Amino acid sequence: MTSVPVPAPQAPPAEPSGTKIAPVVIAFALGTAVAIGLGVYGRLHTPSGHAVNIAGFSSGAAAKAALASVAMALAIVQTVTAMGLYGRIPLRGAWVGTVHRWSGRLAVLISVPVAVHCLYALGFQAYDGRVIAHSLLGCFFYGAFVFKMLILTRDDSPKWALPLAGGLVLSGLTALWVTAVLYFLIV
Amino acid sequence: MKHRSPLVTLAAVAVAFAIMFTVNMLSGPPGSSSTGTAGPSSAAPAPASASSASSQPTETAVASPSPSASQTTEESKFPEKVVYAGRTKHGSAAIAVAVLGDQSAAYFCDGRNIESWFRGAVRGADTSLKSRSGVALQASLDGDHMKGSVQIKKDTLKFEINEAKKPAGLYRARGSKTTVGWIVLEDGSEVGVQTTGADSTAAPQLDPENPQVTLGGENLDAKPVNGDEDL
Repeated sequence: MTSVPVPAPQAPPAEPSGTKIAPVVIAFALGTAVAIGLGVYGRLHTPSGHAVNIAGFSSGAAAKAALASVAMALAIVQTVTAMGLYGRIPLRGAWVGTVHRWSGRLAVLISVPVAVHCLYALGFQAYDGRVIAHSLLGCFFYGAFVFKMLILTRDDSPKWALPLAGGLVLSGLTALWVTAVLYFLIV
Repeated sequence: MKHRSPLVTLAAVAVAFAIMFTVNMLSGPPGSSSTGTAGPSSAAPAPASASSASSQPTETAVASPSPSASQTTEESKFPEKVVYAGRTKHGSAAIAVAVLGDQSAAYFCDGRNIESWFRGAVRGADTSLKSRSGVALQASLDGDHMKGSVQIKKDTLKFEINEAKKPAGLYRARGSKTTVGWIVLEDGSEVGVQTTGADSTAAPQLDPENPQVTLGGENLDAKPVNGDEDL
């Protein structure tokens, strides 16, 4: 449970002596492979057109929109706590890291039923611009997530690697939310 | 120094994916794994063609013939996503056929008290659909429009319909008791029927730009039917 790197102010400048770029490249390659794998699966398998609904919502789409919105809210918590960890805003204390880790875990777990519904019931589709973007972003998001988790396993990555990975994950989720939930709400 | 907990998180997410997929695969509709024959033969044999589509609103996808779609080798000659709509020859009834990929959905209604929903699959330039009660609808691509026929109460009704671009098209709203279907034509006119239990009447006016209707105190959103829905 001590996975998040030490806050920047305390971190001695380990660069340039101890940093290694190779693990970052490997992590990026694995993340890319996951993204491509999801896309290929989504494109090749015949969408079932239906999937298990989560009880209590007016429709499958409403359930997905609600879950995705919870994930999005947690992603905002992620951003704020990450800024605290990096000393950009005055959030101090051990709880910041804990909140960051657990909000992230929760967010990605909540996203899973949504993504599985997309992949299993709908597949990778390309019939209009929004749908292409959403399909690509869905694959991208889990690739970026894998990239970030792998970077977190090591302390000797360059300083920029983790914010980059976190930024990719956040951008991916935000764009997914906009191309689906916002569209669902306003159209 | 190395950390293990992100790997645990990754593994947990992978396991969650696996669980969700398994749950989805195990709980597929009856047709998706057990039906080996082509065509929607699993449709429930109900007597009447009218209003039968909404009589079992809880059994989603019983009439879904998607398994036959996976058996076809012929590529769809239809556009990836298209809706055709028009009136039947000699009459005020209307038909809409929505095609999405290799799946299709159709709706027939007379604007008064007869309606039927159909689901089907696409093979090349043809699509064959069936209603929940087993009524067949055949249609083929003919240039940029669609020709077909449907059995309505012992009559074979022929139709020739054109592509319907939004806001024209096929819409459907489903409440706790009532199902409504609308066919919006290119000229803006609408033909729709609502069914509650076994009673079918004319549908309320639908504004396709703001597709909300109130039925029996319930606010319903009408959704465009694309072709792959559970009807």
